[in-house]
Order: sequence, then structure tokens, then C-alpha cells
Amino acid sequence: MIQLFHVSKEYPGDGPALDDVSLNVEKGEFVFLTGPSGAGKSTLLKLVFCDEAPTSGQLLLFGKNVAKLPARAVPYLRRNIGVVFQDFKLLPRRTVAENVALPLEVQALPPKEIRRRVRALLRSVGLEHRGDKLPPSLSGGEQQRVAVVRALAAAPALLLADEPTGNLDPERTLEVMELLASASARGTTVVVATHDRSILERYKRRVLVLEHGRLVSDGASIRRAARGTP
Amino acid sequence: MTFRPLYFTRRAMDAMIRGPYVTLIGTATIFVAVFATGLFAAALGGAERLLAAWAGEVRISIYLAPGADLAAARAAAAAAAPGREVRAVTSAEALRDLAVELGDEARVLEGVGPGALSDEVQVAAPGISLAEARALAARLRSVPGAADVDYGEALLGPLERFVRRARTTSAVLFAALALATAVLVSNTLRLAVFARRDEIEIMKLVGATDAFVAAPFLIEGLAQGLLGGGLAAGGLLAAYAAVSPRLHAAGLGRLLTVRDALPPSLLLALVAGGALVGLLGSALSVARTLRRISTS
Repeated sequence: MIQLFHVSKEYPGDGPALDDVSLNVEKGEFVFLTGPSGAGKSTLLKLVFCDEAPTSGQLLLFGKNVAKLPARAVPYLRRNIGVVFQDFKLLPRRTVAENVALPLEVQALPPKEIRRRVRALLRSVGLEHRGDKLPPSLSGGEQQRVAVVRALAAAPALLLADEPTGNLDPERTLEVMELLASASARGTTVVVATHDRSILERYKRRVLVLEHGRLVSDGASIRRAARGTP
Repeated sequence: MTFRPLYFTRRAMDAMIRGPYVTLIGTATIFVAVFATGLFAAALGGAERLLAAWAGEVRISIYLAPGADLAAARAAAAAAAPGREVRAVTSAEALRDLAVELGDEARVLEGVGPGALSDEVQVAAPGISLAEARALAARLRSVPGAADVDYGEALLGPLERFVRRARTTSAVLFAALALATAVLVSNTLRLAVFARRDEIEIMKLVGATDAFVAAPFLIEGLAQGLLGGGLAAGGLLAAYAAVSPRLHAAGLGRLLTVRDALPPSLLLALVAGGALVGLLGSALSVARTLRRISTS
């Protein structure tokens, strides 16, 4: 699903954000990406959803070398990827239902089908009664649930989440993590960037540890991950 | 991208309703720009029309020496000015014409005898330029018995210089106005698009193509342009209605009717121009924002 071969990313005037990272995420896997702030977690996710390009190395997504993809193909590739951010990134002037409908509208689904799917998605996260509200009127937890169902609306093969629980209290954190876990259970490949150790301890999944842009650990052991030692 | 005009129009209308201030500023900018352009075009068109009307009344007079043969002079003038209306005016007729022109002041002619004015040959020269009038007058000076030739240089000279200067000034002002309009509208629409940068970013994030992102913005720009242009056209008609009594009072009402000052073709061009400015301004702004997002 995701293959990185000696991938580096440098920004002008800065040290390497990613330094010679190689890894492989299989279809259907649930992977945590962890490490201290500035370790390169967000940069790695940006490369995977084609927001940025590697400075060197190769990144294969769904078996395709993204460096060789023409720019016009990127939107179509992104339709197979759902993305969730710490700050939700909801459209504040569109209703909750319209936000969830956005990926489906982009894919030109019939309006009736969009309405049916949006209702079902909002029901699945207990927000069917909030569909006509604007996001700013929702709590942080509700907004993040909306962001997750929007990311899952078009049934993407890959779900990326960048600190999805960073702004949430422990109870809301669990709600959101359960949504991600259930997406994984349905076969979606999930990559979650987080530095929340409690999450890593609760969900025993594969953990990739980044430090100073280098992949220092790739394994299932939470202890090793927490120590940040290979 | 599948072309879905109804969907994109709905999106554009939603955005305009949900962001009324941005819409208002965009529309108002286009309104001001189109109104100023229209006002300028109408004023220039009106001035040219007035000048053409005045120039249409130009006639060249050949005053004959006492005892000259009026009929022979008329024939010679007709030969020197082929195709133009040539009229022989006797001294008595000239006096009558003058009395008519003087109107209430005609009493000053009391006691003036029929031989006080010379016989005259008049050559009508509607729409003639100063250079043409000068050349024609030179030819008419050779008419047998001609004592003097008057082609209204005192009026035509300043008039033509005014028209020439007005045209040059208009061209410069028009270019400056067009440039200022383009910059003003483009900047306003750029700010409007930039204010919705996050929205564009999120749409790109969920797999929207550039065309999908741009389409509602283009429709918004077009709608704002049509609205701004339409309001400007309406504003110009209202402005004409406001100054119309003064035009009539100045005796210009007949020469400058609403169809003369603001012909339908000008109003249509202004509305279309507003729409084009809105469309192009939005296209440039959204393209720039998309470029920035993709390179950020």
C-alpha cells in the first residue's frame, strides 16, 4: 500500500525533515507513527498524500511511483486517501452534512446517493441530528468525528490521521480512536501520527518511531516505541 | 471533471449568500469601475455628437463686391464645390435672413436699407473639417466678383482643436481608467478568493481537481460582474434622468436623448464588460491561489 525507499525531505535553510526513511505498510494494516514534535511525522504524511514531494528516494503508493504521476492525476489518487487533521479542517460556512458530502460531490455521485450516504455516516457517529449545524457550533469531539466520517465518506483505501486526538479530552480521544479502529476492521489501511503514549499503550499495533527525521524503530513493541530505541 | 453547471451554480450562489460582504465588495468594485467607464464613454460620445451637430451647421459664405453678377458667382461656386448645396442670396434676402436670426433684436435693423448688405453665395458644408473648409474657401475665393469668403474659422478652429485635445485626453484617461479598473477589480477579487484559501485547500485535500475548485469561483465572478455591470447601467440611466431637465433647459435635450447619450449598445457593452472583468478577475485570482497552494 505504502512503500518508501530511502526517502529524504529537506526544506531550504533547514536540516532534513526526513532522512533516508524506508518502510512498507501493507494493505489493511493499522500503523502508528510516533516521535517527538519535529520528528517528521507530519512531513511523512504530507508526502503520502502528495501534498509535498520527496527531495530524494522513491515513494510508491498503491504500487505507483508518485514522482512519476502527472500533476493532474494527483486529485484522483487523493480520492483513495482520507485525511484527518488535529485542527479538523472543516469548512466553517458549510453545514456538517455538506462537509461530509464534499468528497462524494467531488466524485460526482448522484445527489440522492450522497444524501443517503451522508445520513448513514452521520448516524454511525451519533451526529444525525447535527447535520444542518455549522461546524463551529459543535464541540471539538463532534467536529473531529465529522472530520473522520468525511475522510471515510468515499470509502478510501487509505486513511491518514495527523494527531487526530491532539485537541480532545480522553473520552473524546477514545471515541475518535474507535472510529479509526473500526475503519481498519473494515479493511481500510490506517496510519495515525500521534505522540500520545496512552493511545499507543491502549491499541497494540505496529509502531513506527521517527526521531530527527530518521526511522529509529519499526515494530510492535510499545515499550521500545516509548523509549524511542531501535 | 464532469461538467455540472447546476451544481456549480448552486455552490456559487451558496457562497455568495454565506459571504455577503465579500460579494458586496466585489460587486461594488465592479459597479464603480463600470459606472465610471460608462460615464466617461457617455460624456465623450455626447460631446462628439454635439460637435458633429454643430459642425453640421457650418456653411461657407462668399460675399460679392457691389455690382457683381450673382447668378454667375453661384454657378462658379457650384463648380468649385461639386456635390454641395449652393444658394444665391440677394442683399434683400440676406437682410431678411439676418432679421430672422436676430429675432426679438431685429429692431436694430430698422432704417437699414436693402443695399446695406452685399449679395452673397452660401455653400452648405455639413461635417466639414477645418482643413477641408480652408481648402474649399481658397477655391471659392476665385469665384468672379468675390470680395470676401467666410468659412467660420473663428468657430471651427477652436472647436476642432477642442475635439482633437478631447480625443487625446480621452484616450489617455480611458487607458488609465481601464488599468486602474483592472488592478482594483483584480485585487478585490484576489482578496475575496484568498479569504477562502482554507476552503480551496480542503477541497484539494478531498481530491477536487483544479477545475472543480475554480468553477464556482468563476461563476461567482461572472455573477458579481453581471450584477455590478447591470447596476452600473441602471445607475447611468438614473444619472441621465437626473440631469435631463438641465439638458433640456440648455437646449440640448433634442440633441442628447437618452438613446443618444446611453445607446443600448453602450449599456450592453458595459454589462458584458462587467461580466468579463468579474470572470477574468476571478480566473486570475483563483489560478494564483491554486498555484500558491500547490507550491506551498
